[in-house]
Amino acid sequence: MDYLLHILVIAGIYIILTLSLNLIVGYTGLPALGHAAFSCIGAYTSSLLALNMGLSPWIGLLIGACVAALSGIIIGYPAVRLRGDYLALATFGLGVIVYSIAKNWVSLTRGPMGLPGIPGFSVLGFQLSEIWSYLLLVLFFVIVTVFAIKRIVNSPFGRILRSIREDEIASEALGKDTTRHKLLVFIIGAFFAGIAGSLYAHYITFIDPSSFTVMESITILLMVIFGGMGSISGSIVGAVILVVFPELLRFLGMPSSIAAPMRQMIYGLLLVVLMLKRPQGIMGAYRFK
Amino acid sequence: MLPQLILNGIIAGSIYAVIAIGFTVIYRTVKFFHFAHGVVYTIGAYFAYTLIISLHFNLILSFFLSIVLAALLGIAIDRSVYYPLRQQNASNLIFLLASFGVFIFLQNLIQLIYGAQILTIRTGPIKEGHHFYGAVITDIQILILVVSIILMIFLWLFIQKTKLGKAMRAVADDPVAANVVGINPERIIRTSFAIGSALAGAAGILISFETNIEPTMGFSALLKGIIASIIGGIGSIPGAVLGGFFLGLAENLGIWKISAGWKDCIAFLILIIFLLIRPWGFLGTKTEKETI
Repeated sequence: MDYLLHILVIAGIYIILTLSLNLIVGYTGLPALGHAAFSCIGAYTSSLLALNMGLSPWIGLLIGACVAALSGIIIGYPAVRLRGDYLALATFGLGVIVYSIAKNWVSLTRGPMGLPGIPGFSVLGFQLSEIWSYLLLVLFFVIVTVFAIKRIVNSPFGRILRSIREDEIASEALGKDTTRHKLLVFIIGAFFAGIAGSLYAHYITFIDPSSFTVMESITILLMVIFGGMGSISGSIVGAVILVVFPELLRFLGMPSSIAAPMRQMIYGLLLVVLMLKRPQGIMGAYRFK
Repeated sequence: MLPQLILNGIIAGSIYAVIAIGFTVIYRTVKFFHFAHGVVYTIGAYFAYTLIISLHFNLILSFFLSIVLAALLGIAIDRSVYYPLRQQNASNLIFLLASFGVFIFLQNLIQLIYGAQILTIRTGPIKEGHHFYGAVITDIQILILVVSIILMIFLWLFIQKTKLGKAMRAVADDPVAANVVGINPERIIRTSFAIGSALAGAAGILISFETNIEPTMGFSALLKGIIASIIGGIGSIPGAVLGGFFLGLAENLGIWKISAGWKDCIAFLILIIFLLIRPWGFLGTKTEKETI
Protein backbone atom coordinates (compact mmCIF):
# COMPACT_ATOMS: atom_id res chain seq x y z
CA MET A 1 0.00 0.00 0.00
CA ASP A 2 2.79 2.39 0.94
CA TYR A 3 4.44 1.53 -2.34
CA LEU A 4 1.33 2.53 -4.27
CA LEU A 5 1.11 5.81 -2.34
CA HIS A 6 4.79 6.42 -3.03
CA ILE A 7 4.18 6.05 -6.78
CA LEU A 8 1.31 8.51 -6.50
CA VAL A 9 3.49 11.06 -4.68
CA ILE A 10 6.13 10.78 -7.43
CA ALA A 11 3.43 11.01 -10.09
CA GLY A 12 2.10 14.17 -8.39
CA ILE A 13 5.54 15.78 -8.46
CA TYR A 14 5.89 14.88 -12.14
CA ILE A 15 2.46 16.36 -12.87
CA ILE A 16 3.69 19.72 -11.54
CA LEU A 17 6.86 19.45 -13.65
CA THR A 18 4.96 18.40 -16.76
CA LEU A 19 2.36 21.15 -16.43
CA SER A 20 5.00 23.82 -15.95
CA LEU A 21 6.96 22.59 -18.95
CA ASN A 22 3.79 22.34 -21.01
CA LEU A 23 3.28 26.06 -20.47
CA ILE A 24 6.68 26.69 -22.10
CA VAL A 25 6.64 23.95 -24.74
CA GLY A 26 3.02 23.22 -25.49
CA TYR A 27 1.37 26.61 -25.04
CA THR A 28 4.15 28.94 -26.16
CA GLY A 29 5.88 26.58 -28.59
CA LEU A 30 9.37 27.00 -27.13
CA PRO A 31 11.29 23.71 -27.27
CA ALA A 32 12.96 23.83 -23.84
CA LEU A 33 15.14 20.82 -23.08
CA GLY A 34 16.51 21.80 -19.68
CA HIS A 35 13.56 21.75 -17.32
CA ALA A 36 15.27 19.57 -14.70
CA ALA A 37 17.68 22.47 -14.12
CA PHE A 38 14.88 24.49 -12.52
CA SER A 39 13.76 21.68 -10.23
CA CYS A 40 17.42 21.13 -9.37
CA ILE A 41 17.79 24.75 -8.29
CA GLY A 42 14.54 24.62 -6.30
CA ALA A 43 15.52 21.36 -4.61
CA TYR A 44 19.04 22.45 -3.68
CA THR A 45 18.00 25.91 -2.47
CA SER A 46 15.30 24.61 -0.20
CA SER A 47 17.39 21.70 1.10
CA LEU A 48 20.43 23.87 1.82
CA LEU A 49 18.29 26.43 3.63
CA ALA A 50 16.75 23.69 5.75
CA LEU A 51 20.05 21.97 6.48
CA ASN A 52 22.31 24.96 7.07
CA MET A 53 19.94 27.55 8.48
CA GLY A 54 17.21 25.36 9.94
CA LEU A 55 14.55 27.07 7.87
CA SER A 56 11.11 25.48 7.67
CA PRO A 57 10.51 23.59 4.40
CA TRP A 58 7.54 25.84 3.72
CA ILE A 59 9.71 28.95 3.59
CA GLY A 60 12.43 26.95 1.84
CA LEU A 61 9.97 25.85 -0.81
CA LEU A 62 8.89 29.41 -1.44
CA ILE A 63 12.46 30.74 -1.57
CA GLY A 64 13.51 27.75 -3.70
CA ALA A 65 10.74 28.46 -6.18
CA CYS A 66 11.71 32.14 -6.28
CA VAL A 67 15.39 31.33 -6.84
CA ALA A 68 14.34 28.92 -9.60
CA ALA A 69 12.23 31.69 -11.13
CA LEU A 70 15.23 33.99 -10.92
CA SER A 71 17.33 31.37 -12.70
CA GLY A 72 14.50 31.27 -15.25
CA ILE A 73 15.46 34.85 -16.09
CA ILE A 74 19.13 33.94 -16.45
CA ILE A 75 18.42 30.81 -18.50
CA GLY A 76 15.57 32.39 -20.41
CA TYR A 77 17.52 35.49 -21.35
CA PRO A 78 19.79 33.86 -23.94
CA ALA A 79 17.22 31.18 -24.79
CA VAL A 80 14.33 33.40 -25.88
CA ARG A 81 16.59 35.20 -28.33
CA LEU A 82 17.06 31.99 -30.29
CA ARG A 83 14.66 29.96 -32.38
CA GLY A 84 13.79 26.34 -32.94
CA ASP A 85 16.74 23.98 -32.87
CA TYR A 86 19.06 26.57 -31.41
CA LEU A 87 16.72 27.31 -28.54
CA ALA A 88 16.52 23.57 -27.87
CA LEU A 89 20.29 23.31 -27.90
CA ALA A 90 20.83 26.37 -25.69
CA THR A 91 18.35 25.25 -23.02
CA PHE A 92 19.88 21.81 -23.21
CA GLY A 93 23.30 23.36 -22.62
CA LEU A 94 22.05 25.40 -19.70
CA GLY A 95 20.64 22.19 -18.25
CA VAL A 96 24.09 20.60 -18.50
CA ILE A 97 25.67 23.68 -16.90
CA VAL A 98 23.33 23.62 -13.89
CA TYR A 99 23.88 19.89 -13.48
CA SER A 100 27.63 20.29 -13.57
CA ILE A 101 27.49 23.14 -11.06
CA ALA A 102 25.52 20.88 -8.70
CA LYS A 103 28.10 18.16 -9.27
CA ASN A 104 31.27 20.22 -9.08
CA TRP A 105 30.62 22.95 -6.53
CA VAL A 106 31.47 20.47 -3.80
CA SER A 107 31.89 22.99 -0.97
CA LEU A 108 28.24 24.00 -1.31
CA THR A 109 26.38 20.99 -2.70
CA ARG A 110 28.73 18.17 -1.57
CA GLY A 111 28.86 17.19 -5.24
CA PRO A 112 28.10 13.56 -6.14
CA MET A 113 27.86 12.62 -2.45
CA GLY A 114 24.58 14.48 -2.31
CA LEU A 115 22.73 16.04 0.60
CA PRO A 116 21.36 13.49 3.10
CA GLY A 117 18.98 14.06 6.00
CA ILE A 118 16.81 16.78 4.53
CA PRO A 119 13.99 17.45 7.01
CA GLY A 120 10.38 16.76 5.99
CA PHE A 121 7.38 19.03 5.97
CA SER A 122 5.27 19.68 9.01
CA VAL A 123 1.78 21.19 9.14
CA LEU A 124 0.63 22.96 12.33
CA GLY A 125 3.25 21.14 14.34
CA PHE A 126 2.46 17.69 12.89
CA GLN A 127 5.34 16.05 11.06
CA LEU A 128 4.20 14.64 7.70
CA SER A 129 5.99 11.35 8.20
CA GLU A 130 3.27 9.09 6.83
CA ILE A 131 3.23 8.77 3.05
CA TRP A 132 -0.51 9.40 2.80
CA SER A 133 -0.14 12.72 4.59
CA TYR A 134 2.63 13.69 2.19
CA LEU A 135 0.42 12.63 -0.70
CA LEU A 136 -2.20 15.12 0.51
CA LEU A 137 0.45 17.84 0.57
CA VAL A 138 1.57 17.02 -2.98
CA LEU A 139 -2.05 16.86 -4.06
CA PHE A 140 -2.57 20.34 -2.66
CA PHE A 141 0.32 21.66 -4.75
CA VAL A 142 -0.89 19.78 -7.83
CA ILE A 143 -4.31 21.43 -7.48
CA VAL A 144 -2.70 24.85 -7.00
CA THR A 145 -0.55 24.29 -10.11
CA VAL A 146 -3.43 23.04 -12.26
CA PHE A 147 -5.53 25.99 -11.16
CA ALA A 148 -2.74 28.52 -11.77
CA ILE A 149 -1.78 27.14 -15.20
CA LYS A 150 -5.43 26.99 -16.22
CA ARG A 151 -5.91 30.61 -15.22
CA ILE A 152 -2.76 31.63 -17.08
CA VAL A 153 -3.60 29.90 -20.35
CA ASN A 154 -7.20 31.13 -20.37
CA SER A 155 -6.24 34.73 -19.67
CA PRO A 156 -5.39 37.35 -22.31
CA PHE A 157 -1.79 36.64 -21.41
CA GLY A 158 -2.34 33.00 -22.37
CA ARG A 159 -3.82 34.04 -25.70
CA ILE A 160 -0.65 36.00 -26.45
CA LEU A 161 1.36 32.87 -25.63
CA ARG A 162 -0.66 30.85 -28.11
CA SER A 163 -0.32 33.58 -30.70
CA ILE A 164 3.47 33.43 -30.27
CA ARG A 165 3.25 29.67 -30.79
CA GLU A 166 1.14 29.96 -33.91
CA ASP A 167 2.82 32.93 -35.55
CA GLU A 168 5.37 34.97 -33.71
CA ILE A 169 5.81 37.60 -36.39
CA ALA A 170 2.07 38.21 -36.59
CA SER A 171 1.79 38.73 -32.84
CA GLU A 172 4.77 41.07 -32.95
CA ALA A 173 3.00 42.95 -35.72
CA LEU A 174 0.03 43.36 -33.37
CA GLY A 175 2.32 45.16 -30.97
CA LYS A 176 2.95 42.35 -28.49
CA ASP A 177 6.36 42.25 -26.88
CA THR A 178 7.03 38.58 -27.66
CA THR A 179 10.50 38.47 -26.10
CA ARG A 180 9.11 39.72 -22.78
CA HIS A 181 6.28 37.20 -22.88
CA LYS A 182 8.62 34.34 -23.68
CA LEU A 183 10.85 35.36 -20.78
CA LEU A 184 7.84 35.55 -18.44
CA VAL A 185 6.81 32.05 -19.49
CA PHE A 186 10.25 30.77 -18.58
CA ILE A 187 10.03 32.47 -15.20
CA ILE A 188 6.58 31.03 -14.43
CA GLY A 189 7.59 27.56 -15.63
CA ALA A 190 10.77 27.72 -13.55
CA PHE A 191 8.82 28.80 -10.46
CA PHE A 192 6.56 25.73 -10.55
CA ALA A 193 9.45 23.43 -11.41
CA GLY A 194 11.23 24.85 -8.35
CA ILE A 195 8.24 23.90 -6.20
CA ALA A 196 8.32 20.37 -7.62
CA GLY A 197 12.06 20.07 -6.94
CA SER A 198 11.62 21.22 -3.36
CA LEU A 199 8.70 18.80 -2.78
CA TYR A 200 10.86 16.00 -4.12
CA ALA A 201 13.84 16.89 -1.91
CA HIS A 202 11.82 17.06 1.32
CA TYR A 203 9.99 13.86 0.45
CA ILE A 204 12.96 11.66 -0.47
CA THR A 205 15.12 13.47 2.18
CA PHE A 206 18.19 12.95 0.00
CA ILE A 207 19.21 14.64 -3.23
CA ASP A 208 22.23 14.32 -5.48
CA PRO A 209 22.94 15.72 -8.96
CA SER A 210 21.98 12.43 -10.65
CA SER A 211 18.28 13.20 -10.06
CA PHE A 212 18.55 16.27 -12.26
CA THR A 213 20.33 15.08 -15.39
CA VAL A 214 19.51 16.07 -18.93
CA MET A 215 17.84 12.68 -19.31
CA GLU A 216 15.45 13.80 -16.58
CA SER A 217 14.60 16.90 -18.64
CA ILE A 218 13.94 14.70 -21.66
CA THR A 219 11.68 12.47 -19.58
CA ILE A 220 9.60 15.48 -18.51
CA LEU A 221 9.44 16.66 -22.12
CA LEU A 222 8.36 13.18 -23.18
CA MET A 223 5.52 13.35 -20.63
CA VAL A 224 4.42 16.68 -22.09
CA ILE A 225 4.49 15.40 -25.67
CA PHE A 226 2.96 12.03 -24.86
CA GLY A 227 0.07 13.50 -22.90
CA GLY A 228 -0.51 16.27 -25.37
CA MET A 229 1.11 19.56 -26.26
CA GLY A 230 -0.93 22.42 -24.93
CA SER A 231 -3.34 20.27 -22.93
CA ILE A 232 -3.64 20.36 -19.14
CA SER A 233 -5.48 17.07 -18.79
CA GLY A 234 -2.99 15.61 -21.27
CA SER A 235 -0.08 16.56 -19.03
CA ILE A 236 -1.72 14.90 -16.04
CA VAL A 237 -2.41 11.73 -17.99
CA GLY A 238 1.07 11.75 -19.59
CA ALA A 239 2.88 12.15 -16.28
CA VAL A 240 0.81 9.49 -14.50
CA ILE A 241 1.14 6.91 -17.28
CA LEU A 242 4.86 7.40 -17.74
CA VAL A 243 5.51 7.20 -14.00
CA VAL A 244 3.30 4.16 -13.40
CA PHE A 245 4.09 2.18 -16.53
CA PRO A 246 7.82 1.55 -15.87
CA GLU A 247 6.90 0.33 -12.39
CA LEU A 248 5.11 -2.56 -14.06
CA LEU A 249 8.52 -3.78 -15.24
CA ARG A 250 9.30 -4.38 -11.60
CA PHE A 251 6.32 -6.69 -11.29
CA LEU A 252 7.65 -8.74 -14.17
CA GLY A 253 10.49 -9.58 -11.82
CA MET A 254 13.28 -7.89 -13.74
CA PRO A 255 16.46 -7.11 -11.83
CA SER A 256 17.20 -3.38 -11.75
CA SER A 257 20.29 -3.81 -13.99
CA ILE A 258 17.86 -4.79 -16.76
CA ALA A 259 14.82 -2.77 -15.71
CA ALA A 260 16.69 0.56 -15.66
CA PRO A 261 17.98 0.48 -19.27
CA MET A 262 14.73 -1.18 -20.34
CA ARG A 263 12.75 1.74 -18.99
CA GLN A 264 14.97 4.23 -20.84
CA MET A 265 14.70 2.17 -24.02
CA ILE A 266 10.92 2.31 -23.80
CA TYR A 267 11.12 6.08 -23.35
CA GLY A 268 13.43 6.42 -26.34
CA LEU A 269 11.27 4.21 -28.51
CA LEU A 270 8.14 6.04 -27.39
CA LEU A 271 9.70 9.36 -28.36
CA VAL A 272 10.53 8.05 -31.84
CA VAL A 273 7.09 6.51 -32.33
CA LEU A 274 5.35 9.67 -31.14
CA MET A 275 7.37 11.80 -33.55
CA LEU A 276 6.55 9.42 -36.38
CA LYS A 277 2.88 8.83 -35.68
CA ARG A 278 1.49 11.52 -33.43
CA PRO A 279 3.81 14.46 -32.69
CA GLN A 280 1.07 16.40 -30.89
CA GLY A 281 0.56 13.62 -28.32
CA ILE A 282 -2.61 11.79 -27.34
CA MET A 283 -4.66 14.85 -26.34
CA GLY A 284 -2.59 17.57 -27.92
CA ALA A 285 -3.55 20.48 -30.09
CA TYR A 286 -0.17 21.55 -31.33
CA ARG A 287 2.85 20.04 -33.07
CA PHE A 288 6.32 21.55 -33.40
CA LYS A 289 6.74 23.83 -36.37
CA MET B 1 52.11 21.86 -17.23
CA LEU B 2 51.15 24.28 -19.97
CA PRO B 3 52.70 22.32 -22.89
CA GLN B 4 50.94 19.18 -21.64
CA LEU B 5 47.60 20.96 -21.52
CA ILE B 6 48.08 22.30 -25.03
CA LEU B 7 48.97 18.84 -26.28
CA ASN B 8 45.96 17.29 -24.53
CA GLY B 9 43.85 20.02 -26.06
CA ILE B 10 45.10 19.21 -29.55
CA ILE B 11 44.46 15.49 -29.13
CA ALA B 12 40.97 16.03 -27.69
CA GLY B 13 40.42 18.61 -30.41
CA SER B 14 41.30 16.16 -33.17
CA ILE B 15 38.65 13.73 -31.91
CA TYR B 16 36.10 16.55 -31.58
CA ALA B 17 36.97 17.68 -35.08
CA VAL B 18 36.35 14.21 -36.55
CA ILE B 19 32.98 13.98 -34.78
CA ALA B 20 32.15 17.52 -35.83
CA ILE B 21 32.91 16.99 -39.52
CA GLY B 22 30.79 13.84 -39.47
CA PHE B 23 27.99 15.82 -37.91
CA THR B 24 28.48 18.63 -40.42
CA VAL B 25 28.43 16.31 -43.46
CA ILE B 26 25.02 15.06 -42.31
CA TYR B 27 23.76 18.48 -41.27
CA ARG B 28 24.62 20.01 -44.65
CA THR B 29 22.29 17.69 -46.52
CA VAL B 30 19.44 17.22 -44.06
CA LYS B 31 19.60 20.54 -42.11
CA PHE B 32 18.62 19.21 -38.72
CA PHE B 33 20.58 18.24 -35.62
CA HIS B 34 21.24 14.53 -35.83
CA PHE B 35 21.67 13.81 -32.11
CA ALA B 36 21.91 10.07 -32.68
CA HIS B 37 25.35 10.82 -34.13
CA GLY B 38 26.70 10.45 -30.59
CA VAL B 39 25.41 6.93 -30.19
CA VAL B 40 26.98 5.91 -33.51
CA TYR B 41 30.28 7.01 -31.98
CA THR B 42 29.62 4.83 -28.93
CA ILE B 43 28.58 1.86 -31.03
CA GLY B 44 31.72 2.26 -33.15
CA ALA B 45 33.78 1.78 -30.01
CA TYR B 46 31.70 -1.23 -28.93
CA PHE B 47 31.97 -2.82 -32.37
CA ALA B 48 35.74 -2.50 -32.10
CA TYR B 49 35.64 -3.95 -28.59
CA THR B 50 33.57 -6.93 -29.74
CA LEU B 51 35.79 -7.62 -32.74
CA ILE B 52 39.12 -7.20 -30.96
CA ILE B 53 38.44 -8.60 -27.50
CA SER B 54 35.59 -11.05 -27.99
CA LEU B 55 36.33 -12.33 -31.51
CA HIS B 56 40.13 -11.80 -31.49
CA PHE B 57 40.22 -10.04 -34.83
CA ASN B 58 43.27 -8.26 -36.10
CA LEU B 59 43.49 -4.62 -34.97
CA ILE B 60 43.55 -2.98 -38.39
CA LEU B 61 40.87 -5.24 -39.84
CA SER B 62 38.65 -4.49 -36.82
CA PHE B 63 39.17 -0.78 -37.30
CA PHE B 64 37.91 -0.85 -40.88
CA LEU B 65 35.16 -3.37 -40.21
CA SER B 66 33.82 -1.26 -37.32
CA ILE B 67 33.82 1.82 -39.53
CA VAL B 68 31.79 -0.03 -42.17
CA LEU B 69 29.35 -1.24 -39.51
CA ALA B 70 29.01 2.31 -38.15
CA ALA B 71 28.24 3.57 -41.66
CA LEU B 72 25.58 0.89 -42.09
CA LEU B 73 24.09 1.84 -38.74
CA GLY B 74 23.87 5.46 -39.90
CA ILE B 75 22.03 4.40 -43.05
CA ALA B 76 19.73 2.16 -41.02
CA ILE B 77 18.79 5.03 -38.68
CA ASP B 78 18.06 7.22 -41.67
CA ARG B 79 15.91 4.60 -43.40
CA SER B 80 13.92 3.58 -40.36
CA VAL B 81 13.31 6.95 -38.70
CA TYR B 82 14.26 9.95 -40.83
CA TYR B 83 13.00 8.70 -44.18
CA PRO B 84 9.37 8.33 -42.99
CA LEU B 85 9.62 11.75 -41.34
CA ARG B 86 10.86 13.28 -44.59
CA GLN B 87 7.85 11.79 -46.36
CA GLN B 88 5.62 13.64 -43.87
CA ASN B 89 7.55 16.90 -44.27
CA ALA B 90 8.14 16.95 -40.52
CA SER B 91 9.64 20.06 -38.91
CA ASN B 92 13.25 20.26 -37.74
CA LEU B 93 12.29 19.93 -34.10
CA ILE B 94 10.45 16.71 -34.76
CA PHE B 95 13.56 15.34 -36.44
CA LEU B 96 15.65 16.54 -33.50
CA LEU B 97 13.42 14.89 -30.91
CA ALA B 98 13.16 11.68 -32.92
CA SER B 99 16.95 11.54 -33.15
CA PHE B 100 17.06 12.03 -29.40
CA GLY B 101 14.75 9.05 -29.05
CA VAL B 102 17.08 6.98 -31.23
CA PHE B 103 20.01 8.10 -29.10
CA ILE B 104 18.35 7.09 -25.84
CA PHE B 105 17.11 3.80 -27.25
CA LEU B 106 20.45 2.67 -28.68
CA GLN B 107 22.52 3.86 -25.74
CA ASN B 108 20.42 1.82 -23.36
CA LEU B 109 20.46 -1.12 -25.73
CA ILE B 110 24.25 -1.11 -25.45
CA GLN B 111 23.94 -0.91 -21.69
CA LEU B 112 21.56 -3.86 -21.72
CA ILE B 113 23.92 -5.95 -23.83
CA TYR B 114 27.30 -5.01 -22.41
CA GLY B 115 26.37 -3.74 -18.95
CA ALA B 116 26.94 -0.29 -17.49
CA GLN B 117 30.51 -0.94 -16.36
CA ILE B 118 33.56 0.40 -18.18
CA LEU B 119 35.38 -1.87 -20.62
CA THR B 120 38.85 -1.57 -22.04
CA ILE B 121 40.41 -2.54 -25.34
CA ARG B 122 43.96 -1.83 -24.29
CA THR B 123 45.79 -5.16 -24.25
CA GLY B 124 49.53 -4.64 -23.91
CA PRO B 125 51.34 -3.06 -20.96
CA ILE B 126 51.17 0.71 -20.66
CA LYS B 127 54.30 2.16 -22.24
CA GLU B 128 55.91 5.39 -21.25
CA GLY B 129 55.28 8.17 -23.74
CA HIS B 130 57.74 10.24 -25.73
CA HIS B 131 58.94 13.51 -24.29
CA PHE B 132 58.22 16.38 -26.56
CA TYR B 133 58.91 20.02 -25.59
CA GLY B 134 58.07 19.43 -21.95
CA ALA B 135 54.97 17.34 -22.68
CA VAL B 136 54.48 13.59 -22.87
CA ILE B 137 52.78 11.98 -25.85
CA THR B 138 52.04 8.26 -26.12
CA ASP B 139 52.16 6.16 -29.29
CA ILE B 140 48.40 5.84 -29.25
CA GLN B 141 47.97 9.59 -29.04
CA ILE B 142 50.23 10.03 -32.05
CA LEU B 143 48.12 7.42 -33.86
CA ILE B 144 44.92 9.30 -32.97
CA LEU B 145 46.33 12.57 -34.23
CA VAL B 146 47.67 11.08 -37.48
CA VAL B 147 44.56 9.06 -38.29
CA SER B 148 42.25 12.02 -37.56
CA ILE B 149 44.24 14.28 -39.83
CA ILE B 150 44.24 11.64 -42.57
CA LEU B 151 40.46 11.30 -42.23
CA MET B 152 40.01 15.06 -42.47
CA ILE B 153 42.17 15.26 -45.60
CA PHE B 154 40.39 12.30 -47.23
CA LEU B 155 37.00 13.84 -46.54
CA TRP B 156 38.10 17.18 -47.91
CA LEU B 157 39.41 15.58 -51.10
CA PHE B 158 36.25 13.51 -51.45
CA ILE B 159 33.96 16.52 -51.09
CA GLN B 160 36.05 18.73 -53.38
CA LYS B 161 37.26 16.35 -56.09
CA THR B 162 34.85 13.49 -56.64
CA LYS B 163 31.59 13.62 -58.55
CA LEU B 164 29.63 12.32 -55.58
CA GLY B 165 31.24 14.95 -53.38
CA LYS B 166 30.25 17.62 -55.84
CA ALA B 167 26.68 16.32 -55.82
CA MET B 168 26.71 16.47 -52.03
CA ARG B 169 27.81 20.09 -52.14
CA ALA B 170 25.07 20.82 -54.66
CA VAL B 171 22.39 19.34 -52.40
CA ALA B 172 23.82 21.24 -49.44
CA ASP B 173 23.64 24.54 -51.34
CA ASP B 174 20.28 24.15 -53.01
CA PRO B 175 18.38 20.86 -52.82
CA VAL B 176 15.72 21.90 -55.33
CA ALA B 177 18.18 22.98 -58.00
CA ALA B 178 20.22 19.84 -57.39
CA ASN B 179 17.10 17.76 -57.94
CA VAL B 180 16.38 19.65 -61.16
CA VAL B 181 19.78 18.79 -62.63
CA GLY B 182 19.16 15.13 -61.92
CA ILE B 183 20.82 14.49 -58.57
CA ASN B 184 18.80 11.98 -56.57
CA PRO B 185 18.45 13.62 -53.12
CA GLU B 186 17.73 10.35 -51.33
CA ARG B 187 20.95 8.86 -52.63
CA ILE B 188 22.92 11.89 -51.44
CA ILE B 189 21.28 11.79 -48.02
CA ARG B 190 22.16 8.10 -47.75
CA THR B 191 25.76 8.82 -48.73
CA SER B 192 25.97 11.64 -46.19
CA PHE B 193 24.70 9.40 -43.42
CA ALA B 194 27.16 6.69 -44.40
CA ILE B 195 30.15 9.05 -44.46
CA GLY B 196 29.12 11.03 -41.38
CA SER B 197 28.46 7.89 -39.36
CA ALA B 198 31.70 6.29 -40.54
CA LEU B 199 33.54 9.33 -39.20
CA ALA B 200 31.67 9.14 -35.87
CA GLY B 201 32.47 5.44 -35.66
CA ALA B 202 36.14 6.09 -36.47
CA ALA B 203 36.33 8.70 -33.70
CA GLY B 204 34.76 6.22 -31.27
CA ILE B 205 37.22 3.49 -32.19
CA LEU B 206 40.21 5.84 -31.94
CA ILE B 207 39.19 7.02 -28.48
CA SER B 208 38.62 3.42 -27.36
CA PHE B 209 42.33 2.71 -27.96
CA GLU B 210 43.18 5.55 -25.61
CA THR B 211 40.61 5.41 -22.80
CA ASN B 212 37.99 3.10 -21.34
CA ILE B 213 34.62 2.79 -23.01
CA GLU B 214 31.19 2.93 -21.39
CA PRO B 215 27.64 3.16 -22.76
CA THR B 216 27.23 6.83 -21.85
CA MET B 217 30.45 7.98 -23.55
CA GLY B 218 28.61 9.23 -26.65
CA PHE B 219 26.67 11.92 -24.88
CA SER B 220 29.53 14.22 -24.03
CA ALA B 221 31.25 13.50 -27.36
CA LEU B 222 28.11 14.39 -29.30
CA LEU B 223 27.75 17.68 -27.46
CA LYS B 224 31.35 18.57 -28.17
CA GLY B 225 30.85 17.69 -31.82
CA ILE B 226 27.76 19.87 -32.12
CA ILE B 227 29.35 22.76 -30.22
CA ALA B 228 32.45 22.52 -32.41
CA SER B 229 30.31 22.61 -35.57
CA ILE B 230 28.36 25.63 -34.38
CA ILE B 231 31.29 27.70 -33.19
CA GLY B 232 33.15 26.81 -36.37
CA GLY B 233 30.20 27.89 -38.49
CA ILE B 234 27.40 25.36 -38.96
CA GLY B 235 27.60 23.55 -42.30
CA SER B 236 31.23 24.42 -42.93
CA ILE B 237 33.70 21.52 -42.93
CA PRO B 238 36.85 23.61 -42.36
CA GLY B 239 34.83 25.39 -39.68
CA ALA B 240 34.10 22.09 -37.95
CA VAL B 241 37.80 21.25 -37.86
CA LEU B 242 38.67 24.70 -36.54
CA GLY B 243 35.84 24.54 -34.00
CA GLY B 244 36.97 21.09 -32.84
CA PHE B 245 40.53 22.16 -32.16
CA PHE B 246 39.41 25.45 -30.62
CA LEU B 247 37.05 23.64 -28.26
CA GLY B 248 39.63 21.00 -27.33
CA LEU B 249 42.19 23.67 -26.50
CA ALA B 250 39.74 25.95 -24.70
CA GLU B 251 38.50 23.09 -22.52
CA ASN B 252 41.93 21.85 -21.59
CA LEU B 253 43.39 25.29 -20.95
CA GLY B 254 40.23 26.20 -19.03
CA ILE B 255 40.84 23.45 -16.49
CA TRP B 256 44.37 24.69 -15.83
CA LYS B 257 43.29 26.29 -12.58
CA ILE B 258 39.99 24.55 -11.86
CA SER B 259 39.01 20.88 -11.65
CA ALA B 260 38.46 18.74 -14.73
CA GLY B 261 34.79 18.24 -13.87
CA TRP B 262 34.03 21.67 -15.31
CA LYS B 263 34.90 20.72 -18.92
CA ASP B 264 31.30 20.32 -20.09
CA CYS B 265 30.39 23.55 -18.39
CA ILE B 266 33.17 25.43 -20.22
CA ALA B 267 32.10 23.94 -23.56
CA PHE B 268 28.50 25.04 -23.17
CA LEU B 269 29.43 28.48 -21.91
CA ILE B 270 31.47 28.92 -25.10
CA LEU B 271 28.47 27.75 -27.13
CA ILE B 272 26.06 30.15 -25.46
CA ILE B 273 28.45 33.06 -25.83
CA PHE B 274 28.76 32.24 -29.53
CA LEU B 275 25.02 31.84 -30.00
CA LEU B 276 24.46 35.29 -28.53
CA ILE B 277 27.34 37.19 -30.06
CA ARG B 278 28.37 35.40 -33.22
CA PRO B 279 25.79 32.69 -34.03
CA TRP B 280 27.23 32.06 -37.47
CA GLY B 281 30.51 30.95 -35.88
CA PHE B 282 34.05 31.43 -37.13
CA LEU B 283 33.59 30.56 -40.78
CA GLY B 284 29.83 30.66 -41.36
CA THR B 285 28.18 33.39 -43.35
CA LYS B 286 26.32 36.13 -41.61
CA THR B 287 23.02 35.40 -43.36
CA GLU B 288 22.71 32.23 -41.31
CA LYS B 289 21.62 34.39 -38.40
CA GLU B 290 18.15 34.73 -39.83
CA THR B 291 17.52 31.04 -39.51
CA ILE B 292 18.72 31.16 -35.90
